[in-house]
Amino acid sequence: MAAVLRAFFGYFFLVMIVRIVGRRPGKQMTPFEFVLIFFIGGLALTAIVGDEVSFTNGICQIITMGLAHYSLAWARTKSRRFARLVDGTPLILLENQSWRADTLRHMRIFDDDVIASARDSGIKNLQEIDRAVLERNGEISVSRSQQNA
Amino acid sequence: MATKPFSGPVEDSVAKVNDEVAVGEDLDFQRKWWRFENAAWIIFTLIIVLDLAGLFGRGPIAKAERHSADGAFDVKYERIERTDSPSILTVQFAQAAIQNGKIHLYVSNSLVKQLGTQRVIPAPQDTVVGEGGLTYTFLASRPPASVDLALQPSGPGIYDFTIGVVGSQPVEARVVVVP
Repeated sequence: MAAVLRAFFGYFFLVMIVRIVGRRPGKQMTPFEFVLIFFIGGLALTAIVGDEVSFTNGICQIITMGLAHYSLAWARTKSRRFARLVDGTPLILLENQSWRADTLRHMRIFDDDVIASARDSGIKNLQEIDRAVLERNGEISVSRSQQNA
Repeated sequence: MATKPFSGPVEDSVAKVNDEVAVGEDLDFQRKWWRFENAAWIIFTLIIVLDLAGLFGRGPIAKAERHSADGAFDVKYERIERTDSPSILTVQFAQAAIQNGKIHLYVSNSLVKQLGTQRVIPAPQDTVVGEGGLTYTFLASRPPASVDLALQPSGPGIYDFTIGVVGSQPVEARVVVVP
């Protein structure tokens, strides 16, 4: 029973940590974010599995993780407030040729990250950008302004 | 006939601006979340500082030492232990603990079971079961002399233990085992 509880608690603890750490690991993954993800994964595995390495324990913990994920996803569909809490909301990083400096600073995102996403969308200069949005999954979506479309 | 697979109109819960798909940004919520994040980072830092200090075991705060009333022996142990993590409890004996070249060390059952004594170093010459614990007998010459008990608690909890030398006042102590 303890192993199942560890898996349940571990899942929600990881969800909370990843939410607080920020959205950069979502899509703007640089080598140091790779280290973060693998390290957290490895440490969580050690703490959750412990010395119970049986097949039965593995199956039960995987099912527990599945149930925890299902209940979180279900709760998101039932409550918009809860969904906002778990996922956050999209955030505008650049609009009307102005950076949202406060948002960039709090989300620990550089203007270079936005420009990299713009390049990815085939945009060659900043004047072509209508709006850059940090999506809930950590991706930066860049839309082209109408004059340059 | 099969029911229609799609029945709801395509709409956005967030008001549109200039007929564009709304971004759905909620800066009021986000500012509250940033305040929460800042508080969380302070709490995380505090947890790590307390951990380094030993509040969750393995640090200066966790280390403890007790002396028997008559000075026959001292016990060094960790008052905060971690589940499934090894630690050492050391008993140091004075001359008063040695009788006829032998030391008879009594440990309560809680030290053996809940706190998980794995090994006794050195191995005792003899072990007697009774009085709610075990009494180990060691051959001894002169102080300084010590015995180590390798502990590995199997579960979290608060456990009291008693340890003593035959013919001397026992020492009682409490250990908190964190998960």
